[in-house]
Amino acid sequence: MSDELIQIETPFAFNEENQREFDALIGRYPVKEAAMLPTLHLAQRQAGYITPAVMKYVAEQLEVSVMKVKDVVTFYPMFFEEPVGEYVIRVCHTLPCALRDCKGVLDHLKTKLDTDVAAETNLAKGTTPDGKFTLMKVECLASCDVAPVIMVNDDLHKNLTPEKIDEIIDNL
Amino acid sequence: MVEERRILYEHLDVPDINTFDVFRQYDGYTRFEKAITEYQPDDIAKMVMDSGLKGRGGAGFSTGLKWSFVPRDIKPCYLCCNADESEPGTFSNRYVLEKNPHLLIEGILICCYAMGIETTYVYIRGEFTLGKKMLDAAIKEAYEKGYLGKDIRGTGLNIDIYTHPGAGAYICGEETGLIESLEGKRGQPRNKPPFPAVEGVFGKPTVVQNVETLCNLPFIVGNGVEWYTQMGPTYADTRANPPTPDPNTGTKLYCISGDVNEPGVYELDLGLTCSELIEVAGGLRGEEVKAVIPGGSSAPILTHYELDTRLDFTSLTLAKSMLGSGGIIVMNETRNIVDCLLNIMKFYAHESCGQCTPCRWGTPWVRDIVQRIADGDGRKSTMTRPKFGVAENGRWGDTGETEEIYEDLDLLESVANNIANVDTMTWNTICVFGIAVSWPAVSYLRKFRPEFEAAIREGKLVTLPVAEATVPPEENYAYQQRFIPKEFADL
Ligand SMILES: Cc1cc2nc3c(=O)[nH]c(=O)nc-3n(C[C@H](O)[C@H](O)[C@H](O)COP(=O)(O)O)c2cc1C
Ligand code: SF4
Ligand code: FES
Repeated sequence: MSDELIQIETPFAFNEENQREFDALIGRYPVKEAAMLPTLHLAQRQAGYITPAVMKYVAEQLEVSVMKVKDVVTFYPMFFEEPVGEYVIRVCHTLPCALRDCKGVLDHLKTKLDTDVAAETNLAKGTTPDGKFTLMKVECLASCDVAPVIMVNDDLHKNLTPEKIDEIIDNL
Repeated sequence: MVEERRILYEHLDVPDINTFDVFRQYDGYTRFEKAITEYQPDDIAKMVMDSGLKGRGGAGFSTGLKWSFVPRDIKPCYLCCNADESEPGTFSNRYVLEKNPHLLIEGILICCYAMGIETTYVYIRGEFTLGKKMLDAAIKEAYEKGYLGKDIRGTGLNIDIYTHPGAGAYICGEETGLIESLEGKRGQPRNKPPFPAVEGVFGKPTVVQNVETLCNLPFIVGNGVEWYTQMGPTYADTRANPPTPDPNTGTKLYCISGDVNEPGVYELDLGLTCSELIEVAGGLRGEEVKAVIPGGSSAPILTHYELDTRLDFTSLTLAKSMLGSGGIIVMNETRNIVDCLLNIMKFYAHESCGQCTPCRWGTPWVRDIVQRIADGDGRKSTMTRPKFGVAENGRWGDTGETEEIYEDLDLLESVANNIANVDTMTWNTICVFGIAVSWPAVSYLRKFRPEFEAAIREGKLVTLPVAEATVPPEENYAYQQRFIPKEFADL
């Protein structure tokens, strides 16, 4: 067997805080499987991205097959199966933002961070070598009135101009 | 000028309205108290029916009617509040969640009381981290104050609300996709029937309702049906005999973006015209309106000839478009329609859930054709053919002229119409995402055909002056009532 095929994984388990949150979650639904999305969000917050070990752990917790977890993870764009940067920068590029020059925003970020834009199946492409940033395009973030917008991790930044972008990035 | 009428958004900017105490000062939860003390659950359901409230999430289906389909003897019954808000151009739910979450909770309480529901899931799109945080905090407060939980205010009512985060998939806004996603699966829509009202989440009857729809309930209960129905027009639907009233009552949170000076959410009575709304939003940014998308990116486009169209459910349906989610996107004379269509088609190609073949393959195909045209590689035949249009006798037919054959434009229309046929309103797919794809594709093409032809002819994107780029209504069946549209029944 070639070396790439052998994956040495550190096992995953929720830390105490997340375990408590998970225990609260599970009681909300008549079936455990329904807690899938919130559980995966929790796990991703802890592990950074969804590794096979995370999937296995989540599957055990929710009493479903690992395949089912994988099925869900591959469907939703917010779950990453590869490492991402410390700051994930999501640039909206749907029509209302496009009418307000989101392309300029994207180009500015590309030059500033000196990176390409991530593809959904190749996040490394948009990640800076130092692992600090991942740049990706996303669809409408429901803030078209303050377009163009980006999200840096959980925070929305509005009405962007090159100067504003510089300020945001430099302050990270 | 049309005046804003703030009802849902009235207290939006009051400092700390997101806290229980401040919300309480502004009549918070009194409407719920009125509901449980003065009315029976069935009275509330009847009030909602009489108010003519139509769903604000996209389909515009009568809320009262939807409730009437829910079997009362099967328990538990669930309420799913649709806070997925991902339709491009829509952003009104976000402000409710972030600034005034208690209003939504009050709406949910009234709905739960009327329908005998004990559990509500609020499906919030994954990117709304702030909105979820604010709503979670408000829910916690409501539990503490005894407005949620067991035996609410000593009435014996038990109501729980849970928030459930999405994870970035647009299709989870479709109600059955939302239900699948809530059950912890891929968000792939289900075949209907059975409708969610009969068999929804966890196999039980489920009411799916948009945030804005639910936020209307406190005001209907608080101020009464008569007050509510004064806002917005009520038409007579003459397709029925005798004509039935077709209410477009209440206010709408119009979201306006694109080329206007003051984009934002404006709460106005339903039924103002497109040009009036642009006026309210600070006027056009630019010289001339080229096009307006009236109801989120899925809605067929309107041209400058159609700016007097009233922005309500009925008028837009008759104009062969839709109010949808109320996301209005304005484009001025500098915009290229081919380019705009390309942007939208990229969105849909990315968001197709991939269950049905016509949608999974057709949508990227449409995108690729538009991309090809935009890149200047659009295909055109050297041959000509008889031109169809409004013939001498005034009817649709052979005009006796010839026209050039733009192969890619024929292909574009044919592929789009095979995902969902916009003329007959029939779709070859499980959910109406199919229509959301072919509606823009076909309407942009039919109404702005000269710009598409120019791009193919010149081998590059050409932005024509508005008058030249737009097909006038009298020459084009895109505008005309060839078929009476079947109700967009997405219940
Ligand atoms: C592709 C698609 C996407 C949709 N997205 C949303 C959405 O983001 N938010 C929403 O409230 N309704 C959305 N809907 C409409 C829902 O299916 C459903 O009609 C609505 O939530 C019902 O609530 P209402 O009657 O209160 O409008 C979408 C429908 C389709 C077909
Ligand atoms: S029409 Fe498209 S989005 Fe809807 S179920 Fe079919 S493949 Fe999925
Ligand atoms: S298009 Fe960017 S926020 Fe809506």
